Amino acid sequence: MPGISMSLGNMFCSRCGDGFEPHEKIVNSNGELWHPQCFVCAQCFRAFPEGIFYEFEGRKYCEHDFHVLFAPCCGKCGEFVIGRVIKAMNSNWHPRCFRCEMCDKELADLGFIRNQGRALCHECNAKAKAVGLGKYVCHKCHGLIDDKPLRFRGEVYHGYHFNCTACGVELNSEAREVRCRPGFAANEMNELYCLRCHDKMGIPICGACRRPIEERVVTALGKHWHVEHFVCAKCEKPFLGHRHYEKKGLAYCETHYHQLFGNLCFVCNQVIAGDVFTALNKAWCVHHFACSVCDQKMNQKTKFYECDLKPVCKKCYDKFPNELRRRLRKAHEQTPKKASV
Amino acid sequence: MNQAPVSCIPNSKMSRPKKVIDEAKEIQNPELDLADKGIASFEEMPGLFNMLNITRLTLSHNKIQVVPPGLANLVNLEILNLFNNQIEELPTSLSSMPKLRILNVGMNRLGVLPRGFGTFPMLEVLDLTYNNLDESTLPGNFFMMETLRALYLGDNDFEFLPAEVGQLKNLQILVLRENDLVELPKEVGDLSRLRELHIQGNRLTVLPPEIGNLDLVSSKSVLKMENNPWVTPIADQLQVGVSHVMDYIRTETYRYVYNRHVSADRPPPPKTNDKSKKISRARQQS
Ligand SMILES: [Zn+2]
Ligand SMILES: [Zn+2]
Ligand SMILES: [Zn+2]
Ligand SMILES: [Zn+2]
Ligand SMILES: [Zn+2]
Ligand SMILES: [Zn+2]
Ligand SMILES: [Zn+2]
Ligand SMILES: [Zn+2]
Repeated sequence: MPGISMSLGNMFCSRCGDGFEPHEKIVNSNGELWHPQCFVCAQCFRAFPEGIFYEFEGRKYCEHDFHVLFAPCCGKCGEFVIGRVIKAMNSNWHPRCFRCEMCDKELADLGFIRNQGRALCHECNAKAKAVGLGKYVCHKCHGLIDDKPLRFRGEVYHGYHFNCTACGVELNSEAREVRCRPGFAANEMNELYCLRCHDKMGIPICGACRRPIEERVVTALGKHWHVEHFVCAKCEKPFLGHRHYEKKGLAYCETHYHQLFGNLCFVCNQVIAGDVFTALNKAWCVHHFACSVCDQKMNQKTKFYECDLKPVCKKCYDKFPNELRRRLRKAHEQTPKKASV
Repeated sequence: MNQAPVSCIPNSKMSRPKKVIDEAKEIQNPELDLADKGIASFEEMPGLFNMLNITRLTLSHNKIQVVPPGLANLVNLEILNLFNNQIEELPTSLSSMPKLRILNVGMNRLGVLPRGFGTFPMLEVLDLTYNNLDESTLPGNFFMMETLRALYLGDNDFEFLPAEVGQLKNLQILVLRENDLVELPKEVGDLSRLRELHIQGNRLTVLPPEIGNLDLVSSKSVLKMENNPWVTPIADQLQVGVSHVMDYIRTETYRYVYNRHVSADRPPPPKTNDKSKKISRARQQS
C-alpha cells in the first residue's frame, strides 16, 4: 500500500516546509501536501471557497484574485475570458465573441483575414475584394469570377463547379437554370442543364431569337415565340395578340396579308371585310363601288362601261366625246372580253 | 374614307351649286357631289373653301377653267375629282394637300403641270387621262410620289417615258394607252408590284427584256399591248396571247433580237393616232 510506505517523518508542507504532527489534518492536492492553514490563495491568504483554486506560475489563487491578476477581458463583451481565449486583432476574445464583421460567423475555428481594420471570414473578404474590383465571387470556391458568372439558386458560381443534370457535361455561364418546377415553391429544386439538353427538354425556345421563353408563349406556325418576337413577315411589327394570317409558313398582319394575297378596296385601299365587288381586275368595298368619273355609287345591277379597267356609268359614258367612244368601242371589239366575276 | 357613308344628296341638275353646298353644310355631309352642274367658276360655290370637314369633292362634267390655289384649304380632302372640265393649269398648292389620296384631272386641257407637282404626301391614285401632256412638260420631281399605286396617263402625247418611273415602288397600275410612245424605259421592269400595264395604241416595236421581271400574266394581272408596230416575233407571240409574249421576252433569243434592234437605231415608226378631234385640244382649234 503506498500510503503506508510514506512515514510521517519525511512529509513536509508544500508552502511552509514544516513537518506534520501525528493526527494533524493534511491537505493533499495532486500529490502535494499542505497544512490546512497553508492551503490558501497566494494573494488574499484565505481558504479557497468551495475548494476551487486557479494556478499560475506555481502559485494558487482564489477565483476572484486570479481573475483580477491574470484573466483577460473580452474585446467585445468586456467580461473576463475564462477558458479558451482568442488572441487576435490586438485583443482577447471569448470564442463566441470573435465573429466576422460582415456575416457574423464565429471565426475561432475558421481563421480570419484582416481587411481594413476588420476581421472577416475568407468568403466575406473575397467578396469585399471583388466588389472593389467590380467582379463576382464564386459562392463555392470564393475565387473571383473573371468572365460571366453562372447564376444558380440565387448565388453566383464558376460554371465549372457544375455538370449538366442530363448529360453530365461540365457547364459554363451559358447553362440554364430550370426554375420552380410545378409543386416546388422555392428554388431548392432548381437544376442546371447545358444549352443543348435544355433545348431538348421542351422548355419553349423562341423561333426568332432562339432563347428560352419564360414569360408568355405564343405558339404559331408550329413554333414558339416571345410575344414581342412574333412579327409580320412584311412589316416586322409584333402582332401583340392581334390577329395574324398565315401563308406559306409565314405570318402576316391583316394589312399586309391582304395587300399581298387578298382584296383591298381600290378606292380606300383598306381590307374589305364585308361584301366585295370584283370587276375589272380590281375589288371594291360596298362604300366605294362607284363610277370612276362622277363618283356615283353603283351596285350589282348597275350597268357600267369600262375605260382603262375603271368603271364608268352610262351617264358619264354618254358624255364622253364621240371620238373617244369610237376608240373605246373599237378596242372593246378587238380584245376578247374577260368575264368579270 | 373610313366613316360610314352619310346620306347621299340627290344629284339633280336642277339644284344650284350654292344650294347643294348649303344642304351639305346643314347635314355635315363630308362628301360633296357637284358633277354636271354647269359650273364655270369656283366663284359659283361661295363658302366652299371653308368647308374644312369635306373628304370628297366631285366636280366632274363642268366648265371650270381655273382652279384657285385656295382649294388647298380643304385639308381633309381625300378625293378630288375634276374629270371633264376645261382646266389648262393646276395650282402648285394642290401638291401640299395633306390627305389627298385620289386626284382625277382626266379629260381636261392640261399641257403642263406646276413645278414641284410631285410633293403630294399621300397621293395614291393620279388620273391625268386625256390631256395634252408629254415628257417635256413633266416637272422634275414628278416621279418622287412614292405613295402612288395607280398612274393614268392614257390619251396624252408622250413619246418617251422618263427612266425615273422606276422610282414609283408602290405602283400597281400604269396606263400609257394611246400616247405616241416610241420605247419603254427598262426601269419599268423595276416596278415589282405592277399588275396592270396598258401600253396599247403606241409606236412600240420592242419591249425591254427587263419587262420579263414583272408578273403580268397571273390571274390578278393585266398586260394590254395591242395596236403597236411590234417586231415580227413579238407580233407572232401576241397572236397567241400575252403570256406567250412574256415567255418569249425572257429568252436568250429575244435578248439577242432586242440588242440587235436597239443597235440598229432605225427611225421610229410614224405617229398614227389622230388627235385633232380630242376635246382637250378644243381651245387650240378655236
Ligand atoms: Zn502551508
Ligand atoms: Zn464573415
Ligand atoms: Zn462571412
Ligand atoms: Zn447536357
Ligand atoms: Zn425571342
Ligand atoms: Zn405587316
Ligand atoms: Zn373602299
Ligand atoms: Zn358616272
